[in-house]
Amino acid sequence: MRQDGSNKDAFSFISRIKRLKRDINKWSVFTLIIVFFLALPIISIGIELFSGPGETWGHIVDYLLPEYVRNSLYLVVICSVLVLLLGISSAWFVSRYDFRFRKHIEWLLILPLAIPSYIVAYAYAGFFDYGGSLNLILNGLNLSFIRIDVMNRAGLAFILSISLFPYVYVSARAFFLNQANNLLEASKMLGVGERKTFFRLMLPLARPAIVAGLVLVLMEVLNDYGAASYFGVNTFTTGIFRSWFSLEEPETAVYLSALLILIIFALILFEKWQVRKVRFASSKSSNTSIQRRKPKSAFIWLIYFVVLTPIFLGFILPLGQLIYWAVITASSVFDMEFIMISIQSFIIAIVSAVITVIFALILIYFSKWSALRTIKSISRVGVLGYAIPGAVIAIGIMIPTLALDKWLIGFLQKFGIDSGLLINGTMIALFYAYAVRFLAVAYNPIDSTTLKVDDAIPDSSKMLGAGNIKTFFKIDFPLIKTGVFSAVILVFIDVLKELPLTLILKPYHVNTLAVKAFEYASDEMVMEASIPSLFIIFTAMIPVIFLNKLLIKK
Amino acid sequence: MKKLLISIVTLSLLASCGSGEQSEAEKAPANKEQFVTVYTHRHYESDQDIFKMFEEKTGIQVKVVNASADELIQKMKMEGVHSPADVLITVDAGRLSRAKDEGLLQSIESEILETSIPSHLQDRDNQWFAVTKRARIIAYAKDRVSLEDLSTYEDLVDEKWKGRILTRSSSNIYNQSLLASIIANNGEEAAKEWSAGIVANMARTPKGSDRDQVKAVVAGEGDIAIVNSYYIGRMLNSPDGEEVKTANQVGLFFPNQEGRGTHINVSGAGVAKHAPNKENAILFIEFLISEDAQRVFTEFNYEYPVLESVSPADQLIEWGTFKEDNLPLNQLGDNNKKAVLIFDETGWK
Repeated sequence: MRQDGSNKDAFSFISRIKRLKRDINKWSVFTLIIVFFLALPIISIGIELFSGPGETWGHIVDYLLPEYVRNSLYLVVICSVLVLLLGISSAWFVSRYDFRFRKHIEWLLILPLAIPSYIVAYAYAGFFDYGGSLNLILNGLNLSFIRIDVMNRAGLAFILSISLFPYVYVSARAFFLNQANNLLEASKMLGVGERKTFFRLMLPLARPAIVAGLVLVLMEVLNDYGAASYFGVNTFTTGIFRSWFSLEEPETAVYLSALLILIIFALILFEKWQVRKVRFASSKSSNTSIQRRKPKSAFIWLIYFVVLTPIFLGFILPLGQLIYWAVITASSVFDMEFIMISIQSFIIAIVSAVITVIFALILIYFSKWSALRTIKSISRVGVLGYAIPGAVIAIGIMIPTLALDKWLIGFLQKFGIDSGLLINGTMIALFYAYAVRFLAVAYNPIDSTTLKVDDAIPDSSKMLGAGNIKTFFKIDFPLIKTGVFSAVILVFIDVLKELPLTLILKPYHVNTLAVKAFEYASDEMVMEASIPSLFIIFTAMIPVIFLNKLLIKK
Repeated sequence: MKKLLISIVTLSLLASCGSGEQSEAEKAPANKEQFVTVYTHRHYESDQDIFKMFEEKTGIQVKVVNASADELIQKMKMEGVHSPADVLITVDAGRLSRAKDEGLLQSIESEILETSIPSHLQDRDNQWFAVTKRARIIAYAKDRVSLEDLSTYEDLVDEKWKGRILTRSSSNIYNQSLLASIIANNGEEAAKEWSAGIVANMARTPKGSDRDQVKAVVAGEGDIAIVNSYYIGRMLNSPDGEEVKTANQVGLFFPNQEGRGTHINVSGAGVAKHAPNKENAILFIEFLISEDAQRVFTEFNYEYPVLESVSPADQLIEWGTFKEDNLPLNQLGDNNKKAVLIFDETGWK
């Protein structure tokens, strides 16, 4: 009996190997190489896990962990609700209806992303503070000052939501713009009302796109450090920093990061699972763009309220506070150097955005072309970098690149060349780090767009003799370019405001706006930080406006 | 579309080549030129001025790498013998002694540093030296607190301060150093009782920066705040009129004048173990305690100079002189981790 069973096992094992041998092709191999390359920093951190947490682990479990879990869960739940409300409603209204200033509003809704969330936190605290702007305005109007305390857990959830909802907005809008038209026409022919069409048809179909955006938001919420520590809210990420720096135990910090990665991985699996459930119903890209309706006069006010509120809270209000600070500090801070730093930041951000998007495209398409089913799931390991705090990623980058550097130094010394560190402290390490950190930001919007491309089109192209690469450029790319451009914008903005990674890995002569803003903010010179922050916002606006035009033109 | 993609790719290649060439170009003359690489946690504009002054005076170029001390220490550890760092500057003694314990610094011989810096402000093995001082003082609401009520840090656990004390998070190094000094002076048990007593008297959960604590005192959330002296100096000279008004409503009190003196923390510098430019590194640190540099530290950042011949900024003189706790700073580093554990156990967020 037992003999029999093990025979069977052996047999199925052999057949599995055979199948593997049959399905594996050059695309599978390339995918594995790229995934390995991108996941190397994460793997390097993971390996440290086996040495276990440090000696204060028990102390952390006793005194801190319950609070970390409680606060992180609270943020995840509240932020999910808020960003879904803000993101979906605004995306639907700008895609479905036509109203005055719609085109401007469309890109204004992306801009809250351009302000680093810790700067939004400072701006809000400054606005509502004693002696702050609200205080001054109310005094000017002879009204008594009501102090609203934003520096708490609820305030943090609010601030993270209004600065991150554009992730949901961008992916939901890409879905509505691309494929809503056929569905809307069909439902109109069937005489289904507008509200029912939205809740019964559009919302369920847009779910994969919306969840893709939501996962990005939650990853960012979980790894926020600046805003949370300023508001005194202890989360997993503030805990990582506490155990690494205050308790002097990097191994405990790594252990906490690993726990965080597990949570994120669960979120990703959840997303995969729910996408698979609805995919059967997913319609393919429609070839006509959406026909916008003219809203009735009463309804139009509701639309304006819904689309302008997030712009006001997430962009105008913090921007106003920053401008106010910039005006009072301009004489002491402003310098022509800022223009140079802006150009440098712009180039770094655009180059790394393009590199990252290319990596994402390679991963998505190579794993598509690979006959091996499991490759797709493996390729998802590459996106975990987004969930890990930047400073931890920096360590993950330094472990393998320093090993390589040391090997190179030894190798070149044989030829009498004294090279020094060739990768660390140069742009190569920084670009590599950005790709690892922001792959998810590029991957998710592109991936959810490719789901909508009917495989029949590229398949027929291949049947007609065109190769994978040619088919991609001629057929696939034009169909998914909305997703690709959204991805470039999002990564660009993220790189522009990225801080901890940049600080640790940048070459000494390179300066970015985010670094400049941080230099002031870290020393409680929040007002002085406003000028570099404003430059970040203006630099971010360039591609947002430009690529948005491409997006709409179609 | 293809064209666009190709042009993007070419552009990005060009850009990356460009930056590569640039760094090559800067590397080449660096062999002839003298330079010093400084890893620093200090992010002040005025430090940039001091670096420029050093460059002009010596012709040695200063390359700055800015990040938090912990990250810089981690970076130096990983870079090992290949680290380009010559000098490490931090904003507290605790991190410097940690760097020393990790074997990242080296002992140096410098007549100037050893004689001009008071002995409790330098490492016993000459691995690091303080370059500026700050006092951790009590800021109080002038209209609600009478001076007779204030005396020592230890007195703050008294019943009379219930619901009146404001301070920032225990993640902050200045609070960690303060508790470390109490551990060193009064012992671990007493320190634990003190921390618990402060938590019981807090007006709110710790949050925000030192400046925010001062604002909260004026807003009436609490009556006294434990903060660093130089932040109040900064607020009094802020470009924002409201901040100046706020700062004018609080008084400054130096605790423990009858006893050991007010707790101070420092910014300090040490020469990296594998410094490629050791001579320049020593020259650089010596310059940081020169009269010119010390004057910039105090005039623009409201820190106390470590050099006795330089008088503090007018603002600081106005606050009066005070007796400082002469505890050797090494002990702050030794007790730092204990301090953090006590904070957690007593619920100081």
